[in-house]
Amino acid sequence: MSRAAVVSRFTLAQRIEHFVLIISFNVLAFTGLPQKYFYTGWAERIIQLLGGIERVRFIHRTFAVILIAEALWHIGAVIAARRAGRDRGDMGLNFGDVRGVLGDIAYLLGLRGSKPAFDRFDYRQKIEYWAVIWGTAIMATTGLIMWFPETLARFVPGVLVPASRVAHGGEALLAMLAVIIWHFYNAHFRPDIFPMDPAMWSGQMELERLRHDHAAEYDRLQKAGQLPPD
Amino acid sequence: MGPARQIPIVRVGTSVTSVRLVPIVLGVLIGAAVLWLAPAAPALAQDAAQENDTCLACHTQPGMVLELPSTEVVSVTIDPKRFAGSAHGQALTCTTCHEANAEIPHPRVTAKTMREYQDARSRICATCHTDPVEAFAGSVHGRAGRMGFADTPNCTTCHNPHDAARVKTPAFRNNLPQLCGTCHADARIMQKYGLRPVYQSYINEFHGVTTTLYKLTKPMSPTPAAICNDCHGGHEIRAASDPASKVHPDNILGTCRTCHTDAGRLFTTAWTEHQTPSPQASPLVYYVQLFYRFLIPATVAFLGLLTVLDLGRWATDQVRRMGR
Repeated sequence: MSRAAVVSRFTLAQRIEHFVLIISFNVLAFTGLPQKYFYTGWAERIIQLLGGIERVRFIHRTFAVILIAEALWHIGAVIAARRAGRDRGDMGLNFGDVRGVLGDIAYLLGLRGSKPAFDRFDYRQKIEYWAVIWGTAIMATTGLIMWFPETLARFVPGVLVPASRVAHGGEALLAMLAVIIWHFYNAHFRPDIFPMDPAMWSGQMELERLRHDHAAEYDRLQKAGQLPPD
Repeated sequence: MGPARQIPIVRVGTSVTSVRLVPIVLGVLIGAAVLWLAPAAPALAQDAAQENDTCLACHTQPGMVLELPSTEVVSVTIDPKRFAGSAHGQALTCTTCHEANAEIPHPRVTAKTMREYQDARSRICATCHTDPVEAFAGSVHGRAGRMGFADTPNCTTCHNPHDAARVKTPAFRNNLPQLCGTCHADARIMQKYGLRPVYQSYINEFHGVTTTLYKLTKPMSPTPAAICNDCHGGHEIRAASDPASKVHPDNILGTCRTCHTDAGRLFTTAWTEHQTPSPQASPLVYYVQLFYRFLIPATVAFLGLLTVLDLGRWATDQVRRMGR
């Protein structure tokens, strides 16, 4: 078989969304880190390179608005997909994920012979997805608090401003480390997919890989008659 | 003869024209020099310059010191360039302030300690700078000084009269935290007065970060973030507990609103009072900090472990496959 059979994983809109996320995440990290580590030499060089702290903050806020807009778009798209019945809630966390984590650890340690039968998205992908949701919510909230502290202080205590500053920096570091360790490994450096998992680029996954990595999804599709016969 | 000898000096080309230009160029140069040296009263300016030269004949020697009976030493070396460029250098001569020292040899200095010497300097400043001196006298610094605390500042602690940076310049503003930090970063001095060293926490706070980063690329424009005197006041500075202080709890919201004009009434707790967050001071900030201090390493450890396990399994499978 010269051309492997594939299944669709992501729509074009979802892939564009992911691309916008890549751009905004990186720009926000690049303009945010020197503000967190302002006392270092490399932070000074980045700020000089970008033309001063005022411009750095302007860029940071511009891309923050882009990311917030994307988050709102995503919420809208999920709601629309649910209403139209296109979304089965594949990203929902459930008890199966706990079994998935434990089963996978057992498999990785060699305590069981086969990989757990993962559904459409496995626990790694779900953790990542919900980490992005959690992270964006925290970053957007704390960021807006720092951006408009005067207005905020009409309704809630001002101490939320310095607390937000700490949370914004902590969450940013957490997000970057998670992406570097977890996402880079799972989507790029895993030996079987290096240099990258093509699914987010092409939107498709080879059937053979689906059967191996997402066995439960494979079975379901087969039972529903949505897969070509073997 | 004259023009012929001047050719090599002013030669810009090889043409004869340049030779003819020499007297004109010289005339313009001399004219400019005369205008430059004589702002209002040429004779007076020349006298002043001559008088300063007399002083500087000795006082430019490096390492010149005056030793006080207390064995403390005062440097009396003057950098003529810096003095000329200072606020005073353009208006005053040496003897405007050091009147008695017009006589050579100079009369004996009566101050026995550095403190007495500095107090005498401050009286010289008071001759002209009456308003700031009066404001300073009522300040926490001035009052403590009168009580005899020798490490409180007076005029010359913060202002060098021979290199007086104009206080309205951006450079003075942008570096003010460092100036205040000379004492307010020193735990030993602060402890004596029941104060905390606040410099480092200012630098770590939002205003301090902005100031530090702002002057990186714009050292010659004034930082938009608050610096020490914006909130605490300058010469008239009061203890934070003094009801007249700009940062007294009753007044601080008004002080914040100087810049944050539409700050809501709950704004003041946004300020962590130069404190390191702790369960007592800004507990919310402290617990958020603590939360991330655990969450970050825990997450990194968990994700790192799974990654290592995954790689380990893959490597084991490879080895087994090769073994077969």
